[in-house]
Amino acid sequence: MTTAALTAYVLMWPVLVAVVLFVISRGFFREWAEARRDGRDLI
Amino acid sequence: MGELETAQFSALVVVGLLVFFYGGTFLISTRIGKKEENADGYMTAGNNIGFGISAASMTATWIWASSMYASATSGYTYGISGPIHYGLWGALMILFIYPFGKRIRAVAPKAHTLAEVMYARHGRSSQLMLAGSNIVGSLISLMSNFIAGGVLISMLSPFTFTQGVFAVAAGVLLYTLWSGFRASVLTDFVQVVAMLGAVAVIVPFIFLAADFPAAFETGAGNLTAEQGNFFSSTAFMEQGAPYIAAVLAYAIGNQTIAQRLFAVKASLIKPTFLTATVGYGAMVIGVGMLGVLALYLGYEPVGGDVNNIIPGMAAEYLPPVLLALFFVMIVGALSSTADSDLAALSSIMMADVYGQNVAGKEKANPRTMLLVGRITMVVATAAAVAFASLQLNILDLLVFVGALWGALVFPVLASFYWDKVTGKAFTTSVVAALAVFLPVRFGWIPVDGLFGIVVDVLSVVGIGVVLGLMVFGFFGAKAAKIVGVAAVVVSAPFAVGSLHEYATLCGSLVAYSVSTIVCWAMSARHREGFDFALIAQRTGDFDDGDSAAAAGADAAAPAAPAADGDPEPAGTGTK
Repeated sequence: MTTAALTAYVLMWPVLVAVVLFVISRGFFREWAEARRDGRDLI
Repeated sequence: MGELETAQFSALVVVGLLVFFYGGTFLISTRIGKKEENADGYMTAGNNIGFGISAASMTATWIWASSMYASATSGYTYGISGPIHYGLWGALMILFIYPFGKRIRAVAPKAHTLAEVMYARHGRSSQLMLAGSNIVGSLISLMSNFIAGGVLISMLSPFTFTQGVFAVAAGVLLYTLWSGFRASVLTDFVQVVAMLGAVAVIVPFIFLAADFPAAFETGAGNLTAEQGNFFSSTAFMEQGAPYIAAVLAYAIGNQTIAQRLFAVKASLIKPTFLTATVGYGAMVIGVGMLGVLALYLGYEPVGGDVNNIIPGMAAEYLPPVLLALFFVMIVGALSSTADSDLAALSSIMMADVYGQNVAGKEKANPRTMLLVGRITMVVATAAAVAFASLQLNILDLLVFVGALWGALVFPVLASFYWDKVTGKAFTTSVVAALAVFLPVRFGWIPVDGLFGIVVDVLSVVGIGVVLGLMVFGFFGAKAAKIVGVAAVVVSAPFAVGSLHEYATLCGSLVAYSVSTIVCWAMSARHREGFDFALIAQRTGDFDDGDSAAAAGADAAAPAAPAADGDPEPAGTGTK
């Protein structure tokens, strides 16, 4: 592997982690807002 | 494990971080706490959890402290492909489980544990096998996470290992005890945010602080040819392949996963599992890259112990603030799995032991169930703390439980799809698989003669079973048979005569193959089929109006225990 490819290989995972963090957080806060709006428990 | 020569945090800072983390999670758990908790909510949160919490919880539960240490170890040992051979296969197993999960929820929409479903399907023997293996597995996992916490605290602070174990155990019990599974999944969200956020920051920071990417060139000489090869066969055979076989068993047999499967809204199973697949894979592989970086740097872990790679790299390259974030990440990882283990253990004792076997489903008192659940958590925590001090070989224990679950995979899955599987076939196949697994895994019989060939042949069949099961979930029986047979035909010329040299891999594979062969042979000639609709009637809520409805349905269906204490076995259906 070239240095550039190795760099991309190592750093792509934190980027992917950040994307998943965004997706999960967005889902959580949407459900939280819906639960508050409907006056029910989140869980 | 060895210790770093100097403590990185003062006692005050570590106490502050622990109070911040566990105090915060406790406060969060109080937001959902109820004076009168519901027994079913305590086990599965009403089978109605949304995407955000369930995806976070599935990700957090699947990631434990050992995942991160082991992934980094794999990178350090096997080179650039090492983290892939740990993290990718583990992630794909979450993906491969989800079609089975949809089927399990369709058959048993209101169940609490897989063992409870096996009781409804086959009777007490299969239930106790699954419940027993889950209790042992969760206790080992709990102990392992407490040990990881004790080691971390002893490495990064003036506190001792024992003080660290007690701190972590008390912290986890504090926020899980009252609300059970509901507290576990809600706090998982906060914990997974901490973990994912930490990885997104810490890995790039260490990358730059350790002078990468230039170090890829200056340190290339530290790698062997195999370590520098992305398609290393050594990495696949010694790390990837055994893990592929093992994690399928863990995903099917582990109650912490099943519990979330029963808790999430049925319509959200697919997005939840897909997100958890990507989240787990990216997180664990990302942390594993620290092992690869350490390899390029020629880093020597303290005391030669590879478990010190991650803490050592963190201590060397991170400033105090990020080191604190790293500390929270590890504590979050081990706590999220530990609270899941407590919730799993309490559910098994509530539903499988008290609910199904002591009181009986219709007579079970929800208040007593809750008491049983909470007592279980306290006792399990005390037991895990006690076992942690014994310094047992966790790897050997996990291998044994993994093999037990491997022996259970085909009988359990077949029980959800194939109406011919009987309780006798289930039990016999699992016992037979274990009887072959033990001498293979622990080398009790020399494998250099005829027995070695037998092991190779059974292992090749096991390869076909594992790949066939993976395909079956998505594409059905016909495709699974084609892939399974093709896998056997393709792998046999290479495997027969040599595969027995890999005892860990063969141990798992023979567990799969023997249980499959025996279960199929004993079930195929069974004439009567099982009516799967009975499972939904025999499982259900213990604690509200639905319970009465289920009880009413039970009265209409033949759910009353037979003379041997089991519900009616296969054959009660009309097929």
